[in-house]
Amino acid sequence: MTQDISSLMDGELEGREADAALRACCGDEDRKRTWYLYHAIGAAMRGQAPATLDMPANVFEKLRAQPTVLAPRTRVRAATVTRVALAAAASVATVGVVGWLGSQGGNPEPVPVPIVASKTPEQSIQPVASTTTIVPAPAVSVQEYLVAHRQVPSPDLYRPVTNTAPAAVAR
Amino acid sequence: MRKGSVLAGGRRWLPVLVLGAACGAHAGPPSDALGWLQRAMEAARKASYSGTFVHTNGDRISTIRITHLNTNGDEHERIEALDGPTYEIVRRNDEMFCYYPDAKTVRLDRRVNARFFPSLFRAPAEVIAQSYDVKLGGLEHVLGYDCRWIVLEPHDGMRFPERLCSETGTGLVVRARTLGLQGQVIEQYTFADLKLGSHVPRGDVKSIFEARVKQWITDSQPREEAKGVDTGWSVDKLPAGFRKMTELRRTLPGRPHPVSQLIYSDGLASLSVFIEPNGAPKRTNESSSEDGTTTFFARPMGDELVTVLGEIPLATAEEVAASVGHRP
Repeated sequence: MTQDISSLMDGELEGREADAALRACCGDEDRKRTWYLYHAIGAAMRGQAPATLDMPANVFEKLRAQPTVLAPRTRVRAATVTRVALAAAASVATVGVVGWLGSQGGNPEPVPVPIVASKTPEQSIQPVASTTTIVPAPAVSVQEYLVAHRQVPSPDLYRPVTNTAPAAVAR
Repeated sequence: MRKGSVLAGGRRWLPVLVLGAACGAHAGPPSDALGWLQRAMEAARKASYSGTFVHTNGDRISTIRITHLNTNGDEHERIEALDGPTYEIVRRNDEMFCYYPDAKTVRLDRRVNARFFPSLFRAPAEVIAQSYDVKLGGLEHVLGYDCRWIVLEPHDGMRFPERLCSETGTGLVVRARTLGLQGQVIEQYTFADLKLGSHVPRGDVKSIFEARVKQWITDSQPREEAKGVDTGWSVDKLPAGFRKMTELRRTLPGRPHPVSQLIYSDGLASLSVFIEPNGAPKRTNESSSEDGTTTFFARPMGDELVTVLGEIPLATAEEVAASVGHRP
């Protein structure tokens, strides 16, 4: 099930699969927590604090307990930092949208957000089964730098002007 | 461009490019390799062409449609991504309008470092020849056109070898390959279909989204930032041949503080040096990655984090990162 949520966030599901995953993703408290948790991880990997997410209180406890999964995808190859960043980028837009909706819907308390990467490397880096070497996450978000350097837009990454403005107002 | 500022050094190339273009038009195939290189450079801007090219960099592949038109000395270009989420870039000389229909955003930017195939050059042929041996290679038949390979062998290990296939009639580069240090192809641009020299209607270089943008968000911040500032940072020991194009301060999504960016190029390869506060969590380890021609190296430096990213070998990125300091 959590694999479905992950795939959904990464935009890998289509049509019926996506519908099913969407229906299932928030069907019970456990799955709802997983949904929030994955988004928080995605945001934290980019160094972006999802402050506007209206999360269940115990998400952060779970987040602390959860190791950083550096390559939660099946097609793990010579996983470089760049590829990790590129894979993570797919969920960025989703985080933005969820954050925005959250800030519209209620009065989100500013939540202190633990950054996943702030853990010591020994705790936080737990490579998924893979035969190749995995470069430890540097907590440097390369994707924006790649776009800034090449000036060629990444479809996954646009300056989220739409999302930051309402969030600021809601506070 | 600020005269007499720190930016002047790199930007001095630009007028040379323009001057070079004025006297090189349609003179037939040049006799030497440098002439071929210069003509290829001019053709990317002066010729009219439309087509689709495939860009492969490491594991990443993208297909892009390009329409290019030159009227009265002004370049008009439209670039459209054919796979993945839709985006479109409409460019008039260095002014870029980036349309993101999914985000209903149009981003205004100024071309500083954008590498839009077949326009891969950032300095005149003579400047490139200071870092690469330029030779002529064999003839090849590509998409119904004859093209001659221009072979660029770097003088040192600080940049990658480059191969450009320049169409014999116009000089336009129809295929470009960057080789790794072991000689394998690590990045490639190649046209999959191309109409060259034919009449390109003016309407074809107009945005297909332009009529809809009234409801869209306009983000002009990148264009403002592209004007450049004095960041106070410098690279003391640059690899031979690299010169500063510009330096700017950027606001990037997900980063609370503006980031300083210094852009260097040897005329073909380019690199950006990013300097940001080494905030919470403070990084203590160096990290790096290589994918295709894209290399990345990050190095914590006291209260700052220095990141070098570019189409360069890792050794170059490391050397540059090691010599970043405050400008005296």
